[in-house]
Amino acid sequence: MKKKKDLKISRRTVMKGALAAGAMMSAGSIPSKLFAGEFNIPDPLKPLPTTGGNMRWIDSGDMKGVFWKKLFPEYAASRGITIEYDGLPWKEINKIVPIAIRNGTVHDVFQLPLGMDPGVAVSEGWVQPWDDYIENLDEWLANFPAGVYLPGVNQFNGKTYGLCLTANKRTGTCLLYSEKYMSEAGYDPQAGRMTYSEIRDAAKKITKRGNGQYYGWIIGGNQVNRWEDVVHTFGQVAGAHGGRGGFTNRHINFQNGKFQIASDQYMEAVELLLQLKSDGSAFPGVMSMNAPQARALMPQGAAGMIFQGPWCIGVWGRDAPEWKYGIASEPVPDGKKAQPLYIAEGGSNTLWLSANSTMGPFAGDLIRFMGTEQGQIYWAQTVGAADPAVNPEAVAKAGLTGPSAQALAMFAENLLVGPNPIVRNKDVGVVAAKSRVPDPSLALVIQGLYTGQLKGVEAQLKDCNQRYEDALDQAVEDARADGANVTRDDWVFPNWDINSNYGASKYSEL
Amino acid sequence: MNKKSLSKQIYDARWCYVFVLPCLILTGMFVIYPIGMSWYFSLLDWSGFTKEAKFIGLQNYYEAVNDQFFWDAFIRSFIFMFGTVPVKIVLGFIIAVFLNNQVLKLAPFFRTVIFMPVVTAIAIIGIVMTFVFSPFNGPANKFLMSTNLTSAPIDFLGNPDTVLPTVMGVYVWKWLGITMMYWLAALQTVPQDVYDAAKIDGAEGYRLWIHIILPIVLPFAIVIILVEAVGALNVFPLIETMTAGGPFFSSEVMEIYIFRTAFVTDSGTMPRLGYACAAGVFWGVAVLFITVLQGLWMRRTRRI
Repeated sequence: MKKKKDLKISRRTVMKGALAAGAMMSAGSIPSKLFAGEFNIPDPLKPLPTTGGNMRWIDSGDMKGVFWKKLFPEYAASRGITIEYDGLPWKEINKIVPIAIRNGTVHDVFQLPLGMDPGVAVSEGWVQPWDDYIENLDEWLANFPAGVYLPGVNQFNGKTYGLCLTANKRTGTCLLYSEKYMSEAGYDPQAGRMTYSEIRDAAKKITKRGNGQYYGWIIGGNQVNRWEDVVHTFGQVAGAHGGRGGFTNRHINFQNGKFQIASDQYMEAVELLLQLKSDGSAFPGVMSMNAPQARALMPQGAAGMIFQGPWCIGVWGRDAPEWKYGIASEPVPDGKKAQPLYIAEGGSNTLWLSANSTMGPFAGDLIRFMGTEQGQIYWAQTVGAADPAVNPEAVAKAGLTGPSAQALAMFAENLLVGPNPIVRNKDVGVVAAKSRVPDPSLALVIQGLYTGQLKGVEAQLKDCNQRYEDALDQAVEDARADGANVTRDDWVFPNWDINSNYGASKYSEL
Repeated sequence: MNKKSLSKQIYDARWCYVFVLPCLILTGMFVIYPIGMSWYFSLLDWSGFTKEAKFIGLQNYYEAVNDQFFWDAFIRSFIFMFGTVPVKIVLGFIIAVFLNNQVLKLAPFFRTVIFMPVVTAIAIIGIVMTFVFSPFNGPANKFLMSTNLTSAPIDFLGNPDTVLPTVMGVYVWKWLGITMMYWLAALQTVPQDVYDAAKIDGAEGYRLWIHIILPIVLPFAIVIILVEAVGALNVFPLIETMTAGGPFFSSEVMEIYIFRTAFVTDSGTMPRLGYACAAGVFWGVAVLFITVLQGLWMRRTRRI
C-alpha cells in the first residue's frame, strides 16, 4: 500500500519564508539561499588553517544566542571546524569568565564581565589583538559608523582588541504593555509618552479589573540591577543628564562631574516605584523573581506593564506569537518634557579574543563576515531591536517591521551620544579598574526602600550619593598613586550641549 | 625486648602508607592547599583575576570585622543553625522512633518518602520552591487561601520577615531524611535484650525512652548535632537558588556574603577575592571553634 506523504509546514518554516520574503522586498541584494534558512557565507579572504579545531564562544545569549545557533553550524561546516557556543546570563559570565581567565580555560571568543575595564584585560595579557586575523582591517573598520572603534575603549596601543557587531543605541527600561489590559484601562501609550500619574492610574485600573487574577505592573525585583536601571533611565528622561555604562560613567552629571543619585529626578523615579507598590498595583512576589521570570509572566496575562528592554520582543515573538503587546518610551514626571538619553561612544557586546586562542583565524574570518553589510542584515533580521546591528544602513535594509522597527525608531529619536571620560583621558580606565562600587549599591538601596527595610527616600539617596562620591574620589586617588594622570575634572565637560551628540570635535575643544 | 626503630616501623607498615598515600595526595590538593592559599589570599588586596595583588597584612580582617553586613550575615548564619538544627534533631528522632518499630508494616515506605528529598538535587529544590512559595498561583498560597488561613497571598520569599523562616523550613524538609537515618542507625545499636530487660523491669512508654534508650544513644546525639550544626552553616546552594541572599540582604548568610564579595554581582559590586578570603577564613575559624567545643562536649559525655 502506498503511504500517503504528509505535507508538513512548521510554523518556523512559515516564519522563515515570511521573513525572507519581507527582506527580499526591501533588500534586493539578499541571496536566495536565505529562504531556505541558510546563510550565504563567503569564502575566506585568505586561506584558513586546514588543521580544523574547536572554537569556543561565550556571550550573554538572549537573541544573540538565537542567531549564533543558526549561523554557527553552517559556518563550522563550511570551514571544517566545530564551534561550541555558551549563551549565558551576565550573572554567570561575571563568574565564569574571570575564573576561566585565571585558570587558562577561557573561551576563544568572550565578553568581559560587566564593569571590567577593557584596558585591564589588555594590560594583563588576557586578550590578543584582532589585527592579524581580519584581512584589510582598516578598510573593514571604515564600514562602521564613527565612534564605534575608539582608543581606550576597544583599541589599545594602535591595535584593535575589541570588536563590536551591535550598537549600544537602546534602553533597557521601555514601557512594554499588554494591549488588551491597557486599552481596557483607557490608555494608549502610542498616543504619546505617558506620565507618572498616568502609569499609576493605568496600573490601578488594570489591577482592579484583574481582581486578583492579574496586576498592573511587574518587575524582576530579585535581579537587583533592574531597580537601578529603571531609576537611572527614568531619572535621565526627567532631566538628570548623565552618563551610562560602568561605575565611572553611570549616574554622573557631566556638566559638573558629580553623581546625581540624590537628584529630584531620581527621587521621583523611586517614589513612582514605591507608589506602584503602595497602590497595590505591583504583581505580588516581584521580590522573588528575576527579570526573565517577570518577562515570561507578561504573555501569560499576569500583569499589564513591565519596564524592560527590546530583548523581550524576540523572546515573546518566539514563545507567545499570538499575544498582543506594545512598546513605548519610558514615562515622564507630570508636567515635564522628556529629555534625551545618553549613550557612550562605542558599540556593545564587545567580543574579545583570548590570548591563548589558536582559533583566531576562524574567529576573525567569521566576525569579518558579520561586519559586512550582508552579515549585518542577517543579524538585524534575526536579532532585531534586541541588540541592534551596528550598521544603520544594514538595519534599514533588513526590512524590520512591528515592535522591532518601532523600538529602533524610538531609540533613534530618544538617544544621543554623550561625553565619555575614558575617550577624553585613557587614564580614566585605571580609575575604573581601581573602583569599588560602595556597599550597598544604589540598586540594593532601591530594593531596600521597596521592601521597606530602608526608610526615607531622600535620606537614603543622599547617603548613597555620598558613598559613590567617596568611592570615586578614592579610586582617583588610588589611580594617581599608581601614576595615572587623572583628576575629577576629567568628568566635567563644560562644552556639553545636552541636545546634541558629543563627538570628536567636542573633545578637541576641551 | 628490643624496641623497633622508627624506620623499621615505617618499613614494616609500608603497605599501609602506600594505601594511604592517594588519600593524602588528594587531601593535600583539594583541602590543605586551598585552605593554605585562602589564608595567603586573605592578606592581599586582590580582585582575584589581575596580576596586581598588594600585600596589606590584616587590613582585610580589620575591614571585615568593621563591616555591618559581615556581622549581619555572620549572625544570620547562626540564626539559621539554631533555627533548624533543634527542629531536625527532635523531628528526626521522633520519626526514627516510630519507623524503628518493627511492627509498623509501612516503615520502609515512610523511610523512603522522608528520605527522597535528600537525594534530590538541591539546586532543583531551590528553584522549584520559588514556584511553590510564589504568591501568584503558588501551591502554598493556594492552600492557605483555600482553607481561609490567610485572606491575601503571602510573599514568603519576597518579604524580609518571612524569607529566612521559609528557607529554613525548606532546609529542614530537604535534609530531615538524613537526620532520621542517623537516628535510626543509633537506635539500631541498642540491643534487643536491653528492651526486653527494661520491659521485664516494668519500664515502658516514655520511661523506657528517657531512662534506658536515651542514655545509650546520647553519644550518637552529640555526633548528630555536630554534623547537623556544621551542615546548617553550609547552605549556599539552597539560599543562592531560592533568594540569592535577598531581599536586601534578609537571607544573606555568611557563604552568600563571601560569594558576593568574591565575584562581580549583578548589583555592580567589584570582586574582592582577598577580602572574601579573609571573611571566609574568619568564618572557617568560627565554625572550627564550634566543632571543637562540640568535640569536647562529646568527650565529656562519653566519660559520664
